[in-house]
Amino acid sequence: MDHEPEREQRYREFVALLTRHDLSIRRFVRSLLPSRDGVDDVVQDTALECWKKFSEFNPERSEESADGFIRWACVIARYKAMSWQRNKARDRLVFRETVIERLAQAALDNLDQQQMEQSAIEVCLGKLQEDQRRLVLSVHSPGESIANIAQETGEAARRLYRKVNVLRKRLLECVAQRIAAEVSNG
Amino acid sequence: MTRNLIFKAIDQTATPAEFDRLQDAIEQDHEVRAEYLRAVRLCESLGEIASGAFSVNSSKTDVPVRFAKQNESTHRSLAGGLKLSRFAIAATMLIAVGVATFWFGQQENSTTNVADKGEQTETIKESQIAGHATLRRSVDLKWTAGGNEYRDGDVLTNGSLQFEEGVAEIDFFCGATLIVEGPAALNIESDWSVEVTSGRLRANVPPAARGFIVRAAGSEIVDLGTEFALEVRAENARVEVIDGEVEIRGGEHNGNHLLTGQRQWLIGTETPESLNGLSTLDELRIRQENAASERFDTWQALSQKLRQDERLVAYFPIAENLAQRFVRNAAGTGDILDGKLVGPVERATGRFGPKSTGLAFGHPGARVRTRIDREFKAFTFACWVRIDSLEHVYNALFMSDGYETGESHWQIRNDGRLMFSVMVDDTQSVQTFSELEQREVETAGLARVYYSEPIWDISKSGQWFHLAAVYDPVGRRVVQYANGMQVGSEEIIDKFYIDTLRIGPAEIGNWGQPFRKTPWFSVRNLNGTIDELAVFDAALTTKEINTLFENGKPLGY
Repeated sequence: MDHEPEREQRYREFVALLTRHDLSIRRFVRSLLPSRDGVDDVVQDTALECWKKFSEFNPERSEESADGFIRWACVIARYKAMSWQRNKARDRLVFRETVIERLAQAALDNLDQQQMEQSAIEVCLGKLQEDQRRLVLSVHSPGESIANIAQETGEAARRLYRKVNVLRKRLLECVAQRIAAEVSNG
Repeated sequence: MTRNLIFKAIDQTATPAEFDRLQDAIEQDHEVRAEYLRAVRLCESLGEIASGAFSVNSSKTDVPVRFAKQNESTHRSLAGGLKLSRFAIAATMLIAVGVATFWFGQQENSTTNVADKGEQTETIKESQIAGHATLRRSVDLKWTAGGNEYRDGDVLTNGSLQFEEGVAEIDFFCGATLIVEGPAALNIESDWSVEVTSGRLRANVPPAARGFIVRAAGSEIVDLGTEFALEVRAENARVEVIDGEVEIRGGEHNGNHLLTGQRQWLIGTETPESLNGLSTLDELRIRQENAASERFDTWQALSQKLRQDERLVAYFPIAENLAQRFVRNAAGTGDILDGKLVGPVERATGRFGPKSTGLAFGHPGARVRTRIDREFKAFTFACWVRIDSLEHVYNALFMSDGYETGESHWQIRNDGRLMFSVMVDDTQSVQTFSELEQREVETAGLARVYYSEPIWDISKSGQWFHLAAVYDPVGRRVVQYANGMQVGSEEIIDKFYIDTLRIGPAEIGNWGQPFRKTPWFSVRNLNGTIDELAVFDAALTTKEINTLFENGKPLGY
């Protein structure tokens, strides 16, 4: 008989937004940290902080709430990324705060291109030869590195790095071209 | 070479000196910054694709297939030291603040079935909408201030529904239909149950929906088939079976069965009058059709006035159209601009109900062709559109054939953004990648696309929208509208400035490329219905666009 308490309703709203944007937030956080290290921690801190502050998040119009939420969450994520790097041991390479700020701004500016970019990457990957594709995917597998793979395949690491970088550059060029084509393809 | 430095940083093989050099470059040079972000996103995407792709074994393996190793860094986790996959984040959040996790299964894009996910990323996301019912029809609804407001055809999700006046017909997904008269306050709980705090309603429950539950005044009314009426007020509540059988559970009448003609007061005292006068489905339909037809008449009168506007170059009020193979241009420019129906264009119910029509472009060959030969000093395009789905990457509203200098394309991208674009100079060549030929080509043309914020997603399928795009060279601005509200506004910068505009041969609902050199054509037909397309040789103001919306809006807007 009771109406659902408002807090619970807000909460479900929050989880829906968070679930929808989880990947974008994760991407954003990854852009601000020097490696994948700490991304999970920062994303989680961000999620908790967002919930704590969710009562302050009040998009003016409901149709803006989706876009508004991600931008709002990214501001929180930026601070969390900074404090994570602040807490890291000195022997580790971390970004300066001014760098994080610049990167955060730039990452926010092209949030809405990510979908386009993602599909471009898939198409460009499809243009590589099978063995090239396997190579470039295997070195990027979570938990993998070029050094690991070099060790396993017996290929000299330096040569493997060169190979992988050539492929990465080719993919970057291809993606950039496709996006330019998309944007001018009115 | 900065790129190699970027890759070193990503691979974590950069020396501290190199890392510092990269930081300086990121800070000072926005190109490097952009390049760095692109590289990080690429590597992340490759990682995601790898974990997805490698879970599906490809047969030609000459490299041993490797699975993702656990990342060795320690994770502080609320759930007690578990590593989180990205799908677990929201679930953890649920545990963290102590809400039952069964809600999680009802969230958009959530993992309703973890077993289907394979690895931690999915390549194809099935779209999901939250909802339990549809507002099928309504008459004169006045929503309670501060609550949710819906339009006919909207999917209703769980939560409260409150209106002061009017009648609403609600179809629950299970098959039950409620006709609710205001003032009413309901709480939709699931496909199978609704709580009524106040209001009068008639519930119709077909065999497929047997067991549908209406909760009111401390009891549950379980419908065992067909039809009952319910009235809930502050001081009394009663139920009456119109036809069939209901069971009452909970409260003092727990276990009572009522049959056709029987009633039961749940609270309050008996009053002699019966629960008559509740609208039936047919009455509601007739009322609604009458109201819609009244709205239609009002619009027609206003539309007659619009036709006198000298800035109006082309105007296709399809709603009032007869069954011919052309649509009449009702602007002062006359029948030379009439649109010709080509291919499988279908006449569909328009936005004023069965009395009015729209044109549906659901098939790739469907198009309406017109030709507008004049120079424009500015553009305003406006139309009503009902989008069923955004099937293609680009979905056409109104497009000049080809893409020559001064011509415009008005369409909707598959992410729900409106796109308005103008060819600035088709003699320049730009390097782009050809989808068709799968290689780099010299593309003719310097053009600019102006995007709006997203205005559409699949939950809005079947709703009518008023869309407008204004290209204003004098004010140096491109403004886009949905339902009279601005949804995009961008400056026309020098590089993309052009003030001599043209249309030429053009299409409604599709894109013509008559001079292409191959038999292949881009599929851009709009899977939806278009009405009342207007083209002005002027930049209309926000107020004027809003008036167009107000004058033409269907019932319930």
